[in-house]
Amino acid sequence: MLNSSAAGSPLAVDASGVAKSFGSVTALSGIDLAVPAGTLAALLGPNGAGKTTLVRIVATLTRPDRGRVRVLGFDVAAQPGEVRRRIGLTGQFAGLDDALSGTENLVLIGRLAGLRRREARARASQVAELVAMASAAGRSVRTYSGGMRRRLDLAASLMTSPPLLVLDEPTTGLDPASRQQLWQALAGLRAAGTTMLLTTQYLEEADRFADQVHVLDRGAIIASGTPAQLKSLVGGQVVEIALADPGAGQSAAGYPAANCLAAGYPAPDGLALDAEAVARALAGRLDLPPGSVRAESSARRLTVLTRTGTDGDAGVLLDVAAALRADGVPVADLALRQPSLDEAFLALTGRPEVAA
Amino acid sequence: MTAAGTAPAGAGAGHAAVLPHLRYRLVRDTGLIAGRYLRVLRRNPGRLIYPLLQPLVLLTLFLSVFGNLAAGRNAAPGAYREFLVPGIIIQNAALTAPTTGLAMLRDAGSGLADRFRSLPMSRPAVLLGRLGGDAVIYAVQAALLLGVATVLGFTVRTGLAGAAGIVNIAVAFGLAISVLSAWLALLINDAETAERVLFFPAIAIAFVSSAFAPVADLAGWMRPVARFNPVSAAADLIRTLAAGGPAARPFWLLACWIAVLVAVPGVLAVRRWQASP
Repeated sequence: MLNSSAAGSPLAVDASGVAKSFGSVTALSGIDLAVPAGTLAALLGPNGAGKTTLVRIVATLTRPDRGRVRVLGFDVAAQPGEVRRRIGLTGQFAGLDDALSGTENLVLIGRLAGLRRREARARASQVAELVAMASAAGRSVRTYSGGMRRRLDLAASLMTSPPLLVLDEPTTGLDPASRQQLWQALAGLRAAGTTMLLTTQYLEEADRFADQVHVLDRGAIIASGTPAQLKSLVGGQVVEIALADPGAGQSAAGYPAANCLAAGYPAPDGLALDAEAVARALAGRLDLPPGSVRAESSARRLTVLTRTGTDGDAGVLLDVAAALRADGVPVADLALRQPSLDEAFLALTGRPEVAA
Repeated sequence: MTAAGTAPAGAGAGHAAVLPHLRYRLVRDTGLIAGRYLRVLRRNPGRLIYPLLQPLVLLTLFLSVFGNLAAGRNAAPGAYREFLVPGIIIQNAALTAPTTGLAMLRDAGSGLADRFRSLPMSRPAVLLGRLGGDAVIYAVQAALLLGVATVLGFTVRTGLAGAAGIVNIAVAFGLAISVLSAWLALLINDAETAERVLFFPAIAIAFVSSAFAPVADLAGWMRPVARFNPVSAAADLIRTLAAGGPAARPFWLLACWIAVLVAVPGVLAVRRWQASP
């Protein structure tokens, strides 16, 4: 299909210098984006970063103020009709008529997309099958759960088997099982060669499924690359520490309790070790900025994000181990790994991904 | 087109057969959208209760309150009833029209609007299809009004053909006001405000017209407005048809009104629908 052309790697989406403002609010400030055909590109960013504006421009719903966007070779401003014939859109809100059944929605959308009645009906049952909605397709959409709505909405975008699928936060608000089902359907489509451009706030989704991740912040793409490349942008490595349960006995026995007390966190006879306090003490000992050592919500795990240390360099691991031993912190497990996309995002934007 | 060679390739394998560019796309898509509304109505017959109850309530109220007034100047008994029923038919259409605008506004803010905008479908079909569905409502309402009014003593001297003409007038007038309401609703772009803004003029415009009283009997300042009012034009045409007089003048007057109302707000409404942030 598209990804194996003589022209090398044709672009399904080719945008340059795209800018868009709404009144005094700048949504996009000169964005370049290239999505090779057959790949899955994820736009990652906080609320208000400009993700939705960008996919709406690609889907011909919004006109850019400046810049040029070509979708599958057609200009979105000059040839929106040609673009619309080749894309499927799954917007942030399900584009379905609640009063109609699933099948009626699919057939209506398929016919409006240009299918003949017979083809639309045949295709409707195919796509309903594809998103595991065949048994519920006869019911009114009003009776659907959020996950079912999303899946039927995806099915509606697939009625004409478009070579490019544009998805705006397809999994937002879904429970884990529904998210899983949706991703199964998307993975199947990608295997069949469909190009996908999607937005997400879920870093682990971009990490697991995307070929290319583009990090948007305040209307600009601040980093692009494969998930691995983005993680390497963080520069350092991550040491994961699992604190031992000090009350469990022998694991803590070898550590001098006096040091532990001196460092300001509870003695080993207490059941709960204050992970926040350990994190602060560790950052001090390793001479790292305070944000680099974070206590996870489980309160038994710490992550140390180091700026130094190259791939495969275990020296940083030994430094951390030495610091922990010096403070008498009981440790169950110590591991060195690549930073997650979550940590990459934090490093790129200077703030956690949830901040708007 | 350098990259154009890639596009059809992507559209090729496994691609369901999409119809080529259609010249009759507007008609086809309008039919599909109208079919959507009618299907929704068939599935939710409850939505028909109010549109069918409204004309009957209007008829009962107006005939009971005003029906026995003499239309002044030695009029025959029942003459005012003959005058009033066409006015009620038109007022009912004017009061139904805002639902078009409100429905368009509701759709415009939904995910469905984005879906439609992303499809290679005809742009005006969204409005025209809605009007197609509304036409059925207007026709049923007018037929119902005429039927009940006939039972109550209203007479159409031109027979069934005249009655069919009256229903058509009500439909055409209603659709013209529907187009206006669609544009205004999309312009206002807020459901709550639109509801207030659209219904009030629909009531006012019916009173400042010949719907309920001859123009000559209205307050002086009202008369120029009442003469230059599509409600008057439509009510007068229905009266002429019911009484069997020469209908050319009121016909052309109403036709002009409808042409203006459909053409200007219609184009603006379609552009408004298409324009999204």
